[in-house]
Amino acid sequence: MALKKLDVRGTKCPIPIVKAKQEIDNMAAGDELEVTATDAGSVPDFQGWVKTAKHAILKSQRTEKDDTGRELYIHVLERK
Amino acid sequence: MAEASEPAGASPVPTVELRDLLPRLDRGEPLLLVDVRNQDEYESWKLEARRPVETVHVPYFDFIEDAAGALARVPHDRELIVLCAKGGSSEMVVELLGEAGLSARNVNGGMIAYGAYLEAASVPLSATEAKRFSLFQVNRRGKGCLSYVIIARDEAVVVDPSRHVSWYEGFVAERGARIVQVLDTHLHADHVSGGPELARRLSVPYFVSAGEGFELRQPVTGLVDGEQIRLGGEGGVSIELRVIRTPGHTPGSTSFLVDGRYLLTGDTLFVASVGRPDLGGHVVEWGRDLFFSLRDRLADLPAETRVLPAHYTGPAEISAEGVVWGRLGELRKTVPELQIATPEAFVDAVRGAVKDPPAAYSEILKVNLGRPASEEQISEWELGKNQCAASAHGVDEA
Repeated sequence: MALKKLDVRGTKCPIPIVKAKQEIDNMAAGDELEVTATDAGSVPDFQGWVKTAKHAILKSQRTEKDDTGRELYIHVLERK
Repeated sequence: MAEASEPAGASPVPTVELRDLLPRLDRGEPLLLVDVRNQDEYESWKLEARRPVETVHVPYFDFIEDAAGALARVPHDRELIVLCAKGGSSEMVVELLGEAGLSARNVNGGMIAYGAYLEAASVPLSATEAKRFSLFQVNRRGKGCLSYVIIARDEAVVVDPSRHVSWYEGFVAERGARIVQVLDTHLHADHVSGGPELARRLSVPYFVSAGEGFELRQPVTGLVDGEQIRLGGEGGVSIELRVIRTPGHTPGSTSFLVDGRYLLTGDTLFVASVGRPDLGGHVVEWGRDLFFSLRDRLADLPAETRVLPAHYTGPAEISAEGVVWGRLGELRKTVPELQIATPEAFVDAVRGAVKDPPAAYSEILKVNLGRPASEEQISEWELGKNQCAASAHGVDEA
């Protein structure tokens, strides 16, 4: 099982999900993708997307702060 | 069918500005709104017009996951107007719809722009009044916030401005006047006031009364109960604004009576309800204050007084003239909370009717007390419609 990281900081919707889907589509079943975003809207959007996504499961979501105090939204997906 | 691709670098898609779109929706033109936000955002805050807006909801990520399936959910028989939170996802969807041969436009700026959009309506005055002054109600329709511009000769006063202050500067300048004073009816908790910034930019006095228990970190000009502000100079065109303290929604809430007839009530009295007195955590004390403000402080005003509030809840409250207003005599009969006889029953009724506090009201309050915040934070906090009324549907349904 591989873990890949995707940095979409500074982008707004639809970019985080467009890029996450491109990555997920090229991964093997069981691989994980950790997406780091700065757009708060990505939290409900990832939850909404995985409801119908053919290849993605949302394993977890968390928030962290970067060195400048900016809020980071981290989504961990698994290729199914 | 083409895969969803990044919109960056693509040729610009057709767009529509809100100032063109909203009048078309108000007239009931046969447009179909395609709202591509997520479920929560869509359910909690919708674009409204004076006629029902026909809408289909298809989240943008459904287009990313399965473009053909999502396209099949969009009717093909009308001009499509695509809307999202900020305008980026809807741009991608417009591109996909275009590739499928459908005529679609992107709402520039999305719901963020809708929440900031201002439009002015002229309050109808009598012929003699209209010779001396004009009164405009500025409707921030996305939030249901109302502010006011009063112009007498070359002087203007702005009441309860939203934070998009350059709009007010431009509006007044276009009418050959200059803003001489900025007033807030109270310390707002649902939106960030533009009052301090507008006054600072123009070096004119700013008034707000925060009331007991709030430490205001910005300079204000004091106004006492009953004080009169003269506008338009000493000549025959001058009008007066009378200051009337009406505590309750907040301890400092103030109403302004313009030229003896037009009562800017802030969040004290709306056209279908009253302001909620619970946001400070003192619903009994503030609720009693509100009861007495409504019963006693406005008692001597004639039935012909026109009430112009700081909020409304929906298009049904907009009159045929395009203004949200009511005759005080009429509201005394129709607003459910004004039918209640005792302060105890009033407090019980409003306490039972209010919903949870608005999500970010304490953050917004801090900004209005003078704490700095970034544009991005403020935009996020201001999302959604105001929830300042004790009850949008009357206390009987609570």
